[in-house]
Amino acid sequence: MSRSAVVTGLGFITSIGNDRAAVTASLRALRGGIERVEFVGNAALPVKVAGTVKEFTVDSASWRDWRMPSRYEIPRETLRGLAPHGVYAVCAADQAIADAGLTREDLTDGETGLYCASAGSAFLLHHNLTQMHAARFERGNPLGVVMSIAGTLNFNLAAHYGIRGAVGGFAAACASSSHALGCALDDIRLGRQTRMLIVGAEEMNAETILPFAAMRALSTNPDPATASRPFDQARDGFVGAGGAVCLILEEAETARRRGAPIYAELAGWGQAADGYNVAVSHPEGAGLAAAIQRALADAGVAPAAIDYVNAHATSTPAGDRSEALALRTVFTAAGARPRVSSTKGLTGHPLSMAGVMEAAFCALALRDGFIPGNGNLIQPDEACAGLHLPRATLDGAPRLVLNNSSGFGGSNVCHVLRRAEN
Amino acid sequence: MSPAMSPPPATAATPAPSPTAAEALIRHFPAGVHAAYVRLRDTGDPAAADTLVLAIVADHVPQKGRALADTHELVADLGFDSVAISEVVFFLEDLLQVRVTNAEILRVRTIGDLRAFVRTKLAASAAAPASTVRA
Repeated sequence: MSRSAVVTGLGFITSIGNDRAAVTASLRALRGGIERVEFVGNAALPVKVAGTVKEFTVDSASWRDWRMPSRYEIPRETLRGLAPHGVYAVCAADQAIADAGLTREDLTDGETGLYCASAGSAFLLHHNLTQMHAARFERGNPLGVVMSIAGTLNFNLAAHYGIRGAVGGFAAACASSSHALGCALDDIRLGRQTRMLIVGAEEMNAETILPFAAMRALSTNPDPATASRPFDQARDGFVGAGGAVCLILEEAETARRRGAPIYAELAGWGQAADGYNVAVSHPEGAGLAAAIQRALADAGVAPAAIDYVNAHATSTPAGDRSEALALRTVFTAAGARPRVSSTKGLTGHPLSMAGVMEAAFCALALRDGFIPGNGNLIQPDEACAGLHLPRATLDGAPRLVLNNSSGFGGSNVCHVLRRAEN
Repeated sequence: MSPAMSPPPATAATPAPSPTAAEALIRHFPAGVHAAYVRLRDTGDPAAADTLVLAIVADHVPQKGRALADTHELVADLGFDSVAISEVVFFLEDLLQVRVTNAEILRVRTIGDLRAFVRTKLAASAAAPASTVRA
């Protein structure tokens, strides 16, 4: 494979920070972004916490009511077609584009593509359809479709930034943005694109988060400090979160030639499905283990070479156990003992955006020389026997890291990132 | 790209918006526009409709900061695209409880055309028996 790809830009709107510096500081200090919330003003709901997005007010169905930090300017032509999480996405992409030192001309050169992941806006879909029902479907918001269905991010961001290369969206629930990142790597390796923007975003509102309570997948622990505790014996479900992350992936020689900042190399990826259940992970983590092995093979590295694993672990009893067993299958069995942490103890679980967010965290760890610890972990589940789960953040630069993601239908996607040799 | 809009079927009338819903639609507009809406609602004053139309066009115009005149063409002079025109039509339909067909939209080129169109639409709506479809 002659062409390789490097990460050259990052942008964050997350529960633990709205820029790279804030996110890095939170990861290093294990400062969480989970807060008490009262969804729809209903104190009787058992779900009491969420990974909130600060500085933004986007809880109205009308863009005219939205407020965002003054450092962002989104024109009316763009705002009118956005969902609330689209606002986060534009702000994260603006950050990443500036971080990578790219111009508008760079984005519109046809060599630049855009892959996105979100579940769409259940909030606006419900609002718009309710409005149409009330009008007996005789009228409706002309932008109701593009602002609400899955694909809203790629529709809007492609138009806003004038992207003329590959554009598409990925829908694999919590593995979606990991698929986006992997396919972006393939496009660069195959010479189809020189540069890809990968964006994941989700809303933090009742319509996006609370349907998971109906599945009994959300934590009902009311304490923000302990509700999300991946791998812990006392975990009782995940904590929903919103936000957006943009990662810019660029062909390595092009990036070096233009003097772009290089965070890390995306060295390989792999995917494998469980073929088991629509919503429950394989009990032994078989699909995830296969995805890890494929990612390692694609990157050409042995299990023992991996220094750190950013786990998908969301704090659900079944999912975390499955992932722990998958890690033991690949690493413990090979005599390897990488450090393993799930940053969702800090961030909560932002669904489709989790994969690209955590790949971005890995890129920060590789460049800045640290390994995030396991926030909120007190007593590891016995399924984690033999795994190295540091509580505290560790100093020291990892050389190779693995990023895991899993989604509904048993989709499992893994990335291998390598420290850049500048 | 043209927005997909179909002529309305001849079905029962949609309910008129509550005062609260109408007020919510124009809550971002200046007080004078609110007053015009109330005057139109209570008296049917066509001049009040003109004020509303101008305010709605100004709110949706892509090229901000320029004075609007009846002779301005929505597309050629003011930069409206088909989606922005559809937004204006949707706003008017929702606020005034009228229905607008694709063919009617295509005949509107200028702000003056739009003002005249809305006056005609409201007059037809007022003349229709309460039990039939409005305009």
